[in-house]
Amino acid sequence: MTDCPNGEMRDLLPEYAHGVLGAEDTARVAAHVAACDDCRAELALIGRVRESVTLGVPRTNVAAIVGALPAPRAASGKPALYASPRRDVAWKTWQYAAAAGLVLAVGSGVVWQRTSVGTGARFADSSQVRTSPAPAETTHATAPLTPEDGITFGGGLSDLSLNDLQALLGQMDSLKTLPSTDPQSVTPVIASNEGGKTL
Amino acid sequence: MSDTIREADARVDLALIARWQRGDERAATELVERHAPALARFAVTQGVRDGADELVQDTFVRAFSSLHSFRADSSLRTWLFTILKRLVLDRQRAERRGPQQVELEERHAVQEFNALDGLVADEAMLRVRNAVAHLSPLQREVFTLRVMEGLPYTEIAQVVGSTEGACRVHYHNAMRAIKEYLSDD
Repeated sequence: MTDCPNGEMRDLLPEYAHGVLGAEDTARVAAHVAACDDCRAELALIGRVRESVTLGVPRTNVAAIVGALPAPRAASGKPALYASPRRDVAWKTWQYAAAAGLVLAVGSGVVWQRTSVGTGARFADSSQVRTSPAPAETTHATAPLTPEDGITFGGGLSDLSLNDLQALLGQMDSLKTLPSTDPQSVTPVIASNEGGKTL
Repeated sequence: MSDTIREADARVDLALIARWQRGDERAATELVERHAPALARFAVTQGVRDGADELVQDTFVRAFSSLHSFRADSSLRTWLFTILKRLVLDRQRAERRGPQQVELEERHAVQEFNALDGLVADEAMLRVRNAVAHLSPLQREVFTLRVMEGLPYTEIAQVVGSTEGACRVHYHNAMRAIKEYLSDD
């Protein structure tokens, strides 16, 4: 079997055999093959190669292949072109991380609030301890706060009994002068060698 | 293949990809039906004896998983062949590193390709298969893609990682070698 010297025609033989040439090329190759023994023999060899190789190839299970493919992202309306499975995994990871962060934040808030309420109760308890050795007439001790009472950070006038308040008012009335709550006037002084000079 | 027919073929693939991305799973079936047989043929001629169907399935899974990176610079068919070629090489490397280390030489690829000869009853067919099996791996790749699938040299060059001119030379050398093998046999 010899080779045809027309390299262009020999190059086109496989595509001619597959029937994928355009109309013009198909006509040219057909005319050449009809007149060329070498190309006719080579075309027959190409056919035999195709047949022999195809015989040993297992059939592909299309359904199994399709079943193994990732699902397209039809629900989101976005084409899979912009939503690969790898990006799905990354997005889900972020979602899990955000959910975990939210749970952590809420949990911390609850713990902080309960701790604060407990502290308030402790403060209330300590105020009660302070008021326990009060004078005998102080019979109305401050009741310990419960968490439902809210947060209290210390005692005040509201913790005093009526008698305590009356005694306090009496002491205030007995004072001759009350301390001024106004700020003291500030007189600027310029320093000099002879001492301070008041303006 | 004329450019018009190739372009039309590529447009069909792109349309099917777009349909699949919009949620039409039947488009995936059509794509697999269009390309799976050619991929299986290519795998077998590259020496894959067992599990050619698995390799074809892996090829489609990888391709569909990264369709976002497919920019249609090459045809889908070329892209699929490129993925399959890498998978075949990976498998052959893994087999070489396996517990029973066997140096994978060209001779072994020939033996694997010929392992299916029991299915080929015809003596003439058997001789043709032997002729193809005795090609060098690169010649066999180029020859198979050209003769079995009718791929143009430009696409073959992309699959095998070579130039269009080199692929043309490989094809004609392969054809000459097969003719010589058959005339000597």
